[in-house]
Amino acid sequence: MSVKTIPFLILILLISRLYSTAQAPAIYAFQQDDTLVRNNYLEEVASKKKMLLSGVPKSAASDYKEIYESQFDEINDLVKTRSVTAPVAQEYLQSMVKQVIAANPELAKLHTRIFFTRDWWPNAASMGEGTIGINAGLMVFLHNEAELVFVICHELAHYYRDHTQKSIDKYVETVNSEVFQSELKRLSKVQFGVNKQLEALSKGIAFNSRRHSRDNEAEADRYAFAFMKKTGYDAGGIKTCLELLDKVDDSLLTTLKLEQVLNFDQYPFKPKWIQKESAIFSQLGEDDNQLSKKEKDSLKTHPNCQQRIAFLADSINSAKTGKMFIVNEDLFNNLKKDFFREMTEQCYRKNNLSRNLYYSLLLLQDNSEDQMAVYSVARCLNQLYENQKNHKLGLIIDLEGKEYPAQYNLLLRMLKRLRLEEIAAINQNFCRKYAGLMKDNPDFAKESTKAFQLNKS
Amino acid sequence: MKKSIIAAVLLLFVLSVTAQKLSIENVQKVTLRNADAIKEGSEVKGYYFFYVSDKIDKRTNEYTLQITDNNLKKLKDIKFVDSKDVKILESSFNGTDLIFLFYNDDALTFDYQVYGADGKKKYSYQRQLTKKERRFLENTYLRMDDDENNYKGIYPIDGRGFISNTPSREDKDYTFQVDFFSTEKRKQWSYIPTIGAKKFIGDYLGTFNGVVFLEVLKFTGMMDGKPDSYVVGLDLETGKQLFEKSTDEGKYKFYPASMSILNGDKAYIFGEYFDPNGNIIKDKSHGFAFIGMDEKGKIVSEKYCGWDLELGKFLEVTSKGKIADFGFMYLHNMFQTANGDIYAVGEGFMKVASALGIASTVLSGGRQGVVSNVKVKVTDLIMIKFDKDFNVKEAKIYDKNSNKQELPSGMEFVSTPLIGKLLKYSYGEFDYAYTQMNKDNTAFTVCYSDYVKGKDYKGSTFNAISYNDGKITTDKINTKSEATRSSVLPAQQGQVLILDYYKKDKRLDAHFEKLN
Repeated sequence: MSVKTIPFLILILLISRLYSTAQAPAIYAFQQDDTLVRNNYLEEVASKKKMLLSGVPKSAASDYKEIYESQFDEINDLVKTRSVTAPVAQEYLQSMVKQVIAANPELAKLHTRIFFTRDWWPNAASMGEGTIGINAGLMVFLHNEAELVFVICHELAHYYRDHTQKSIDKYVETVNSEVFQSELKRLSKVQFGVNKQLEALSKGIAFNSRRHSRDNEAEADRYAFAFMKKTGYDAGGIKTCLELLDKVDDSLLTTLKLEQVLNFDQYPFKPKWIQKESAIFSQLGEDDNQLSKKEKDSLKTHPNCQQRIAFLADSINSAKTGKMFIVNEDLFNNLKKDFFREMTEQCYRKNNLSRNLYYSLLLLQDNSEDQMAVYSVARCLNQLYENQKNHKLGLIIDLEGKEYPAQYNLLLRMLKRLRLEEIAAINQNFCRKYAGLMKDNPDFAKESTKAFQLNKS
Repeated sequence: MKKSIIAAVLLLFVLSVTAQKLSIENVQKVTLRNADAIKEGSEVKGYYFFYVSDKIDKRTNEYTLQITDNNLKKLKDIKFVDSKDVKILESSFNGTDLIFLFYNDDALTFDYQVYGADGKKKYSYQRQLTKKERRFLENTYLRMDDDENNYKGIYPIDGRGFISNTPSREDKDYTFQVDFFSTEKRKQWSYIPTIGAKKFIGDYLGTFNGVVFLEVLKFTGMMDGKPDSYVVGLDLETGKQLFEKSTDEGKYKFYPASMSILNGDKAYIFGEYFDPNGNIIKDKSHGFAFIGMDEKGKIVSEKYCGWDLELGKFLEVTSKGKIADFGFMYLHNMFQTANGDIYAVGEGFMKVASALGIASTVLSGGRQGVVSNVKVKVTDLIMIKFDKDFNVKEAKIYDKNSNKQELPSGMEFVSTPLIGKLLKYSYGEFDYAYTQMNKDNTAFTVCYSDYVKGKDYKGSTFNAISYNDGKITTDKINTKSEATRSSVLPAQQGQVLILDYYKKDKRLDAHFEKLN
């Protein structure tokens, strides 16, 4: 389930709830994962992999092996390094999963592993063998449990209908088919216009595969509705969730005012850090490419959410009697707050320093006494300095691009322009500004000492 | 060099992609014909990749010209069908518009295509070449891989158009052609000097107050070793010659290297000066000259900084310009920063005895062998700083490992300055790579290569001398890493693009890094 943008007002409300209500704890305590749960998941994943590999047809064994290796590498990484197995979050999620399964006994045999992840991107995914991850980056945008239950039901439906395995089977069957192979053989001997014909052939595969995927999405929505309406949750959550997915975009997070958060009495913010430069094709239209609207739409993994809403509209209207919250509203809202911090920290762990700094500065902008944010900014700036010094910065920061929201692009532009001594000066002044607030924080003291040393060197 | 590295690395990338399991990609045939950085002046604003995306028939290809921004993010794919003999020679950006020079080797055409800010083609300007002209271009322009674009190039005129400079043949004359291509409306003019000499070499100096300034060398014949030097002014609107000013008319003979607008909007031409009757090609210079010139070609000021009197305060140097342990300076570039300071960047070289040449002479019984008894040693890099009144303020030598170049027999009798030019254009032995300056002239980076034999690292390095807000810093990138192969390419001013190719993983990491 990919997610794009979210309505502005909803986000403003969300962010203000995320931060302004937070009489932020002095130091944030990150969720402590349950290693036993995680290890159990890993064992189940390993056994599933073994089972799948033992059952592949000999004629296409190498194709299947290649796909499964890649698929299970991704699943293992997700479980090992990104999953949230901390008891409170996990039990909260499981109580909703149990409710869904209790209302739909046909799902009981699935043996799924459903958990939150610390990933920042607003998405949820059914990995195809029973593992389902719901990203922190999606959770922070959801409004209620009904929306979360729809996400769970939608991903369960994908697994229940075996969409991933069917897609893999279809792909392997196509590329090994006699028709496809003989066409490739013919084209390998053709001298002129080969690529055009190959493009048509590959487009056919892409179209089939994508259309299949779109069909899968529509089917998953239908099944999700059927599962959800028996749970006691308000099916209206489907509509608001799909509306959110249609528009979700973190540019609608509170606007990051770099010139304020990184402005210091002794080291004022320099406008040239974010000043716009002349650029090639500066007036190029957003949609200026060779694909027609229909083609672009057909290449999307998920069909238009408005269309999905329209498909389900009658069903939703007939089942809007349930509740938005059943398990625990307070916990839901607390988890949203926590997950913003979890994903901020996860960006640091995964060496995505530009995004770590972006989220940390947003936290700080919202609450200038947020100690976790202060520490995170100081630590990130020191890391940026070290990486820039060693000519490795480009490997750990994103580059400005149209796919990112404008305010994040400004930060990326600044990071690309800052000179080594400017990073050191910013961090020294930053640490000086927050020295009083952070006087009892030994971790911050270390970063501050380092920042002062770097600015001297 | 740069172009070939980009192409080679990109090909590796393409190969690594096509080598994957998907059979469809194994059948696909896509070849990268050209790739290079697109610059606005010296600043990289983007990159282009010119692919043969399909073969239509024996004589025709389908091409894809992919244009990216300076973060290597794709802006646009331009697809078109054309002769199989088409390639891109140059590109440039003038703040709003983009120009590409396409060369059709078969039809003998230069096709300058201008694209607007909206990504759409605005104008196309064509030049038909003769077979004679092609032969001349093949020996000059098409052969020259000149990072600094001396004697060639497409220069942006902010928001108005582009100036192109290419060698040209007119009847029996060997000359050059300056073209202006407007980006405001469809308009073009050409300037081809043919009077007063048999051979002309032109270098674009800059544009000031609607006047295009050129440095022109005139030779009386192909073998003439003592050309006359002129500054020529052309009207930017019409291309009409406004003046031709000999650079011999001042106190000394002067050889312009670059031009800058400074001190209240005056054009100053910088370069080295020589004896009034000297030879700018063969003689050793006396030092640096700064000539103020108005838009009518009138010299309004002259300032000379001699090696012995002025530069001698900072360097151990003879009046002929020989610096202790450094040798003679080959001037690579001169430019000015926003605060008025002027910087000259040069590299040292000296003749030294060649053991190989001497042994070859001994073995041939005293007769001169094929290798000269002298060879050239390329030494360190030098940066000389002048204030806005052209007084020397600082001179600093940046140490690097020396390179040695053996010379063919007979070269011991060739003058040292001429050997410097051979090192630059024939042997490519200098380590200096390029200089980049930002648009408001508050920062520049001088880049050069070196080789290090240290305890911790042994291998080639990419080095930078950077200037920012009045402060000079140096930085070094080791180009040997855990990657199978690494290349450093130009990027925005103050940055480089590092390409690390990992053969085992079939992975190419392209990352932009700042020069500290």
